[in-house]
Amino acid sequence: MSEVDLGFVDESIERLGRKQEAAIPILQAIQDHYRYLPDDALRRLTEKTEISASTLEGIASFYDMFRRKPVGQYIVRICHGTACHVKGSPLVEEAFRRSLDIRKGTDTAPDGRFTIEGVACMGCCTLAPAVQIESSTFGHVTPGNVDNVLHDFLLHPDKGAPGAEALEGSPRSGDGAATDGLVPEIRVGLGSCCMVKGSNSLYTELKQTVQRLKAPVEVKAVGCVGMCHRTPMIEVLEPNGRSVFYDDVTIAHVEALVWNHFRPESMWRRLGHHASRLIDRFLVEETAAAQVERHALDIRDPSVSAFLDKQKHVVTEHFGNANPMDLTEYQRRGGFFALRKCLAELTPDSVIEEVLASGLRGRGGAGFPTGRKWRLVADSKAERKYVICNGDEGDPGAFMDRMLLESFPYRIIEGMAIAAVAVGAHEAVFYIRHEYPLAVQRVREAIRRCQAMGLIGPEGMLGHDYGLTLSIMEGAGAFVCGEETALIASVEGKRGMPRLRPPYPAQSGLWGQPTLVNNVETLAAVPWVIRNGAEKFASIGTEKSKGTKVFALAGKVMRGGLIEVPMGLTIREIVEEIGGGVMPGRTFKAVQIGGPSGGCVPASMQHITVDFEALAEVGAIMGSGGLVVLDDTDCMVDVARYFLQFTQDQSCGKCTFCRVGTRRMLDILNRICAGEGKPADLDELEFLARQVKAGSLCGLGMTAPNPIVTTLRYFRDEYEAHLQGRCPAGKCTDLIEYRVTDQCIGCTICAQQCPVDAIPLTPYRRHVIDTTLCTRCDVCRQACPENAIEVTDRCR
Amino acid sequence: MPVITIDHQELEVAPGTTVLQAARRLGIEIPALCHRDECSANTSCMCCVVKVAGAKSLLPSCATVVTDGMVVESETEEVYEARRTALELLLSDHVGDCIAPCMMYCPPNMDISQMLRHIARGEFDRALAVVKEDIALPAVLGRVCNAPCEAACRRREAGGAVSICLLKRFVADVDLALENPYLPEKTPADGKRVAVVGSGPAGLSAAYYIARAGHECVVYEREAVLGGGLRGTFAPEVLPDSVLDGEIAVIERLGVRFECGQALGEQLDLDGLCDRFDAVLLAVGPVERGVIEGWGLKADSKGIKIDPATYQASRAQVFAVGGALRPLKFAVRSVAAGKVVAACIDQFVTGRPIQAPDLGFNTKVGKLSIEQLQDFLLRARAEDRSEPVEGLVGGYTADEARAEAERCMHCECSAVADCLLRKYSGLYSADAKRFKGEFGRPIRLQTGHPKIFFEPGKCIACGICVQIANAAGEALGLTFIGRGFQVRVDVPLGGSIAEGLMKAGEACAKACPTGALDLKSET
Repeated sequence: MSEVDLGFVDESIERLGRKQEAAIPILQAIQDHYRYLPDDALRRLTEKTEISASTLEGIASFYDMFRRKPVGQYIVRICHGTACHVKGSPLVEEAFRRSLDIRKGTDTAPDGRFTIEGVACMGCCTLAPAVQIESSTFGHVTPGNVDNVLHDFLLHPDKGAPGAEALEGSPRSGDGAATDGLVPEIRVGLGSCCMVKGSNSLYTELKQTVQRLKAPVEVKAVGCVGMCHRTPMIEVLEPNGRSVFYDDVTIAHVEALVWNHFRPESMWRRLGHHASRLIDRFLVEETAAAQVERHALDIRDPSVSAFLDKQKHVVTEHFGNANPMDLTEYQRRGGFFALRKCLAELTPDSVIEEVLASGLRGRGGAGFPTGRKWRLVADSKAERKYVICNGDEGDPGAFMDRMLLESFPYRIIEGMAIAAVAVGAHEAVFYIRHEYPLAVQRVREAIRRCQAMGLIGPEGMLGHDYGLTLSIMEGAGAFVCGEETALIASVEGKRGMPRLRPPYPAQSGLWGQPTLVNNVETLAAVPWVIRNGAEKFASIGTEKSKGTKVFALAGKVMRGGLIEVPMGLTIREIVEEIGGGVMPGRTFKAVQIGGPSGGCVPASMQHITVDFEALAEVGAIMGSGGLVVLDDTDCMVDVARYFLQFTQDQSCGKCTFCRVGTRRMLDILNRICAGEGKPADLDELEFLARQVKAGSLCGLGMTAPNPIVTTLRYFRDEYEAHLQGRCPAGKCTDLIEYRVTDQCIGCTICAQQCPVDAIPLTPYRRHVIDTTLCTRCDVCRQACPENAIEVTDRCR
Repeated sequence: MPVITIDHQELEVAPGTTVLQAARRLGIEIPALCHRDECSANTSCMCCVVKVAGAKSLLPSCATVVTDGMVVESETEEVYEARRTALELLLSDHVGDCIAPCMMYCPPNMDISQMLRHIARGEFDRALAVVKEDIALPAVLGRVCNAPCEAACRRREAGGAVSICLLKRFVADVDLALENPYLPEKTPADGKRVAVVGSGPAGLSAAYYIARAGHECVVYEREAVLGGGLRGTFAPEVLPDSVLDGEIAVIERLGVRFECGQALGEQLDLDGLCDRFDAVLLAVGPVERGVIEGWGLKADSKGIKIDPATYQASRAQVFAVGGALRPLKFAVRSVAAGKVVAACIDQFVTGRPIQAPDLGFNTKVGKLSIEQLQDFLLRARAEDRSEPVEGLVGGYTADEARAEAERCMHCECSAVADCLLRKYSGLYSADAKRFKGEFGRPIRLQTGHPKIFFEPGKCIACGICVQIANAAGEALGLTFIGRGFQVRVDVPLGGSIAEGLMKAGEACAKACPTGALDLKSET
């Protein structure tokens, strides 16, 4: 007898189909329902579908989201993205394990309440280190506040961040106002990051307050604002066109804020200016008002203007002031103009010519000319062709695609439609990682609305009889699926294993048919190119890298966030001017560009420009646009190891160089970080890096050595220091020791907070750390009010 | 029809032909472990990479389709290095001993596992024949050998090493007690004549194999009795004269002539020997520099100077072995060297290039814990090592011998003869220990299938068996489980290998490039 009720399995089969391509969606449904994949459910599938046991087991063990064992009541997901890693996520995980009594090698607490899970990147890099418990996300978690986080969660275990209700509730806010920008608005960013920080409830509160006070202003939900370092953020657009930003706003500020800007009309009439001020005093709680002032940021504020001035919004056009789901608004602002033009005025060939002339290159990493890719697919003769939007943004440290999908779903749909028309495809698939539920939800809704409004559908588009079927496939957690042949395998319901190209997907892709795979950002740029002309796009950027690039700026930088800049800005302009440099007292050391496939560019090379060619020359790559800033407290060997740990874990395991080669490189790095490295190890690392690069089957393996190659090239001294048993940045726990200095006043805070009781309680006397017990979790150093705890080289 | 150039040879091929297929047609050998003609390209092992002009990286020839005008290089240093590295990476994650540790550490590299298999079945004569392939004096060594094989035996950790030395002595004693002890097949006589000077363990051993190779062999002994260092060194109860004489008698029956009282420099001179014989082997035991030079040969600090690759002394026709080269503590080393030098002499007198035989490429797992040995112990008798009831002098009874031999786990790889990983690792001089680190797969052995063994530790995750099982329409079949370094091939849904491969077991075992899936053999 089966222990689980398999009714749901049967239902899922009825709903999703019996064929191979239904395998992943069915497993996702089962996983969501049972929270793991019971063996009995898989057996049932083999009996009732065409999917073989071999396929099911292969898939279930390939993708991260699937679990084969029951999990605890609550799942704690610890983000190990780049930004989170350099900000201490390993120590945070350790703290959770300690707090929940989850031993190494296991993932669930003995009481079965919590299961801990490391995730590659949640794309909330500006909140680093980020932790998600069920649907609640917590930002800036430290080993010291782990208990608070758990306590907080348990107070409201089912609260969570509730997706996009706010948007769903008002799909057409701002509707009817043809005079864009002149209607006073309060704009609330509802991207994932903002929502984590409470922008959702802020939005609701603002709506209610405005309604209650009858203030003459529209509260508008908008997409990502980009200034993630200041979330939750709202923008107030006054009737005179002046725009004021508020950052770190809480519900307590809302009423004062509305009062400050928009005196309710009735009051104006009844009391006049002076009286209203009197009432102001009565109604507005003083502290709140003061806080509102403190959080107000004029757009002319130097930090805001520095962040915004160098930016150029092409794919993020109307960023921060458009309701992502408002289809009418999208159309009013020129949406579908480009698609209409392609259908009515241009031939597919001239569309491709236009894209070619624009110089647009793939934004997913390699920078292949988009027009040429389109041409290849267009020239392939076949009955069926496909367009796939690659939204499997798996690089840790990157969240551009998530933001674009969440904020501009219609724009990407339009880009997809144009691409489909140009290459002659009638089926288009969005492949979006399941870690981006809000993006999936919004794109799904956007497709539904486009179809409901008769704009895009299998029968035709915008009144023309060119039909296009749009569908969504959710990824299941595998970085390698960003590689186009792996992605296609995944859409077909298989393990995401890349294959040798040629044949390229343009010749033989999905189901063996010509297939165009373009990245989210690439497709988002297409409508702009068609609408404004290739020439205008080509006028932005550098000679070989045209247009703009969206970057996720995160790590040790003052103003992290999502930025779109013209190609060819220097690293310095991005890090120092837009990002405001590193924290006070720290030194800018390097910037990691391009994630696991990219490299570390040292601060001494910050004059180089950010474009495809210049980055390739220094050993990095544009990648999809993750840009993580590192300072003097970051160990470059550890950073290299971090990326290699990621790639070797994400390798599909098919080819020898990637499967075993990256692992052996990691083994060497692990030895070096543990102080057990030998001088010959560096040569061996370089040798393996060369071999893995030359001999791997796909882009993942070929680029996996880049973080090692660049750090060895630019930071060899740090490797050598490790060989001598020192970690100059004080990061590698095997090589450091914590010590209490003379500055200790004996306040006992460190002793009280030490999770392993390595500091005896000695009030009014200098404390001492027992280094044999110390796990180097950094809690004491962060807790010490006197800065009396230092990190030193470990005595060996 | 596309034309391809591989290593400067041109070939016209049918459209769709791969570079690997084209190369094979040109007779160019490219190592391809994960490729089978009946399977689609796995592009897993990457040992078949080639340099295609214009391509940024190296390409796997098994999946690269020839395009017209394609220029390929298969033998460049870059390609060679990449292939060797691929092999070394595979080896670093390949848990297996090509040959068993006991055989590896046995100086004459006797196939101990095979001997034990025969003893366990009571086939003592066949066991003896196996022994005599490599050891000319098993009854002697069975009494005086220091048994490095037993030091290497994996059962040392699990109830004590198999009593290899005593078991060898047992079969040798059984044989010597026969009216006509075992004589190996001889190669037909070819008229070549070899003189062996000295009848110690090295000389006797060499004489045995020289005679077996079909050459006329005369052994000259300075003393009045044969045996050199074997005679009189050991207590009579350890090595009775009768045993030594018995084994010498076998060598004599093989056709070797013995002449005692013949000392080099006295009754014999080297020039004369060289005139009368095609080759001369000096197995004279320790000898002083002056004496060596007196013979007209070069000496080094320890003894006669030879080319270590061929055992030839400074005079091409003269070979030297054993204690004459350097002091040797153990008789087994002399016996081993005698076998090797006999092979060199055989090559010399028959006009072939001299190449001292070796074991070829072999991987070694190193030490395994009891837990890691568990599955392998299942195919061996569980009991601890047993000593003969009769005591060491008496030796084992037949029943005791069989029981003790059943304790062997047979650590060698059953695919040793046809393993592609081993073959190409040898050809590309791969260093199995170059990359160290953890293993990605469990060290297990599944024996439940009626026809095949499954040893996941030896799997290189090539995917051939997954395809074959799938094509055979297996209900469960095989699949890749997991990802990255941890990826492994196994039966889905927790099935056993017997459940997974109901139809395709033998086909998978035959196609497996390593010994991960291998036929249960009857040898």
